[in-house]
Amino acid sequence: MIELQDVSRVYHRGADEIHALEHVSLQIGRGRFAALMGPSGSGKSTLLNILAGLDRPTSGSVRVAGVSLNELSEDELAAFRARHVGFVFQFFNLIPVLDACQNVELPLLLTHLRKAERRERAQTALRVVGLAERGAHRPGELSGGEQQRVAIARAIVTDPEIVVADEPTGDLDARNAVEILGLLRDLCREFQKTVVMVTHDPRGEKFVDEIHQLDKGVLRHSAAQREAAAR
Amino acid sequence: MKFLPLVWRNLARNPLRTALTAGAIGLAIALVCLLLTMPNGLDVLLERAASNTRIVVHNEAGLVYPLPYAYLQKIRSLPGVVGAASWSWYGGVFEVEKGVTFPNFAVEPEPIGTVWADWGIDAKQLEDFRRYRDGAIVGGATLKRQGWKVGDRITLKGTLYPVDLQFRIVAEIPNDRAPFLLFQREYLDQALRAAGRGGLDTLGIVYVRVDDPARVAPVMAQIDTMFKNSEAQTASETEKSYFSSFFSMLSGFVTIILIVTGLVALCIVFIAANTASMSVRERLGEIAVLKALGFKRRLIFTTLVAEAVILSGLGGALGALASLGLTQLLHARASSWNSSLGPLGSFIVTETILVQGLFLALFVGMISGVVPALGAARRSVAETLREVF
Amino acid sequence: MLPLRYALGNLLARRARTALTVSVIALVVVASTLFSGLVSSLKRTFVTSGNPRNLIVMRKGATNDGSSAVPLEAFQALRFFEGVARGPNGEPLASPELVVQPFFHTPGGGRENVLVRGVEPVALTVHDEVEITQGRMLAPSSGEVILGRGVEGRYVGAQLGQTIRFGHGTWKVVGIFEADRSSLESEVWADVRELGDDAKRSVPYSGVRMRVADGADLDALAHRIGDDSRWALEASRETDYYAKQAESANVFYVIAIGLAVLSGIGAAFGATNTLYAAVQSRRAEIGTLRALGFSRLAILVSFLIESLAIALAGFVVGSLVAALLGRLVSWWLGGIAFGSQTFTTNVVQLRVGAVDLAYGLCLSLAIGLLGGLAPASRAARMRPVEALRKA
Repeated sequence: MIELQDVSRVYHRGADEIHALEHVSLQIGRGRFAALMGPSGSGKSTLLNILAGLDRPTSGSVRVAGVSLNELSEDELAAFRARHVGFVFQFFNLIPVLDACQNVELPLLLTHLRKAERRERAQTALRVVGLAERGAHRPGELSGGEQQRVAIARAIVTDPEIVVADEPTGDLDARNAVEILGLLRDLCREFQKTVVMVTHDPRGEKFVDEIHQLDKGVLRHSAAQREAAAR
Repeated sequence: MKFLPLVWRNLARNPLRTALTAGAIGLAIALVCLLLTMPNGLDVLLERAASNTRIVVHNEAGLVYPLPYAYLQKIRSLPGVVGAASWSWYGGVFEVEKGVTFPNFAVEPEPIGTVWADWGIDAKQLEDFRRYRDGAIVGGATLKRQGWKVGDRITLKGTLYPVDLQFRIVAEIPNDRAPFLLFQREYLDQALRAAGRGGLDTLGIVYVRVDDPARVAPVMAQIDTMFKNSEAQTASETEKSYFSSFFSMLSGFVTIILIVTGLVALCIVFIAANTASMSVRERLGEIAVLKALGFKRRLIFTTLVAEAVILSGLGGALGALASLGLTQLLHARASSWNSSLGPLGSFIVTETILVQGLFLALFVGMISGVVPALGAARRSVAETLREVF
Repeated sequence: MLPLRYALGNLLARRARTALTVSVIALVVVASTLFSGLVSSLKRTFVTSGNPRNLIVMRKGATNDGSSAVPLEAFQALRFFEGVARGPNGEPLASPELVVQPFFHTPGGGRENVLVRGVEPVALTVHDEVEITQGRMLAPSSGEVILGRGVEGRYVGAQLGQTIRFGHGTWKVVGIFEADRSSLESEVWADVRELGDDAKRSVPYSGVRMRVADGADLDALAHRIGDDSRWALEASRETDYYAKQAESANVFYVIAIGLAVLSGIGAAFGATNTLYAAVQSRRAEIGTLRALGFSRLAILVSFLIESLAIALAGFVVGSLVAALLGRLVSWWLGGIAFGSQTFTTNVVQLRVGAVDLAYGLCLSLAIGLLGGLAPASRAARMRPVEALRKA
């Protein structure tokens, strides 16, 4: 599903050159729950952005869901994201002026579906995350855990192959964090989605199928989770 | 004042916003200054143009109603009268399509130097005016606008009187406030007789010069009493009152101008308040930290208000200067662009207006900064830190 | 495209800030609309629906009928020229008129020059826009006058049935007339002979207005009058005459435009500031929308809609206030007095009309568009990665 070959990312801040990623090669199969871990500044968020089609590598090739991302233009990348990628962020990033159902509907506006169909799909997504009755509430009226669940509903409403999550539990308490991690795992098991998560949270290790460790932009270690647990 | 650098750096924090706000305030203040030029200009004209020892005598019924010529001699014989000259409207046109572009009158040549000593017409030129029957005195502004000079010959076509007259320009009124053309009464009288139209036996208005400002009121009363029961009653008034009656016609317009000015000023308050509230809102966390460090509420309040005042003041200063520049430009160019735009050239931004504009800006800055500053100074530190961090 | 709800919802969320910006635009709209209304009303007084078949005859070189003189013999000859229309009883529709500017006194003690037009009854036919709405037309040689609507109530004794003093005598007010909101409504009409006597005029008339007969060549008649060597007269179309008078208002147009431009740019700056702040504070949101796949164009349009919505709200509020303020000022001042070319008082009724509102609408839309363009493009050009970067 996801194939990165020799990807490097260099960007400039003022006069400095920062090597966020150095020659990273990585493969994540379909239906897998993968975690990108490492100390801060290790480049895991940069790696996530690249495989999600949010950022371009300075060198190397990126192939996601059978599409080579290198040749796509800015607008084509946008269209790609709309169709193939769902996003979950640390701070939920819901639109405060729209209610939960409208937030979930948002990605559907980029499709050709009619209003009734959009409504229906949004409701379905909310049901999946267990918030069917809270559709009319604004983000301000929901708890942190509920907001993140709405965000996940939004991430899956277009039925993308991939869901990327950047520190999804970073702003949640223990109980909610575990719920969210479980929800993400269910997306893989029940809906065959490939979920890639960047996380600091050690609790995450129990939920994922594979862990990729980064340090200073270099992929140090990749291991299937069963092996890691054994260690 | 050691906090001034802090205030300054806060303004520089978001240069685009600072520039936009200063720009908006500047434009609004420029507008206010421009609008104020009209009421202001009228006042200035009255102050400078009128003399306090000249009286204007006209028919009580209206300026277009004539007075018998014999009145002039009677007025001259009154005690305290230094000189008196009559003006009769000729209404000649130089370029027919443009109509009457400068007022022109038939006058007696001898008293001119006495009654209008303050105009400062060159003595030799006055001499020429007395000597040459077809001589004309022309105001400086008119000479400039028409491109004439002393020595030129011009012809005016009559509109009220069925005779055209040719003149030789012999004298100049060396100031901009008297754009008249004056010529000898005898000249018109003779031309009328030659055309078989009888002569000129009435006059329009009489200008009277008295020897002392204190004499003005008594002489005016004497003149009006003298002719009270005659066929043509007179109304005497000071020159200042005479001029201002012309301007009273503009009073409605001036009211509108002032209303619009007020609206624009209100605008400025809102613009400045908006910016102040935005920039304060973004710094709530920072301000909470300052308070935690020990900065007193009053100090925080003062620096925030100072920020608003300085910003408004800067914008206002720029705007006021810009308005000055614009009016200078108009003054130099307006008439040459299009004759109907000529009046634009008389809008002058004076020092008074500049100061007024600046003070408005500073005042506005102060008002607009108060509410957000108060809010920020009062906020509980703990609450803010919890919210923001 | 992003839903309208997004743009509008954001406006409502930041109530105070939106309100301030809307107020700024509203004030600008009020100022510009009022001024534009003033200029339109002023221009209106110069242009009547006055007859395109009318000629105005004055002495050559005179630009207005206040400083012109037409001798009696000239009038007596002109009225029988071929091409002059005839009334129902065969009399030529040629109206001899005398314009005098006496002082009138206001109740407050002020003094204004008012245009008094000496006429004969035929004037009512020739000036067909004039309509007597109260009382009746003045009778010749009876010491009577009729007042234009703008004069009524403005001066001492200027009411139907009362006597008014001007010139050397007193006159009885027997009628009030309307003239399509033109400058004629600021005039007083009297009998031409009586007025001439009172003003001691040696030349009885200042001008003649005549109606050209249907089918007659108007220009030919005008030329005949101008070429007649007995008197130095000139005839021009009444409509052209009024158009030229209207040119004196040009300077006000320039002021009105200057006012709109300066204040408009200032308001646009204000709107730009507000929107920039909004873009800044919604960085993460914008990044999210871009991440979700919304195009740059969608973001641009959404922010422009926010800006235009603010501008439109400003227009609506501003227009209402302008219309109200206009009526208030009009009622309070009883008409705005302007000086005219004849040095008389031209009373202008301030009316904010459809054209002025359209002007205000264009201005506010321009402000919304120009003010919003820069911040909207910044929002659109934001790179998702940077926008989402935790600050």
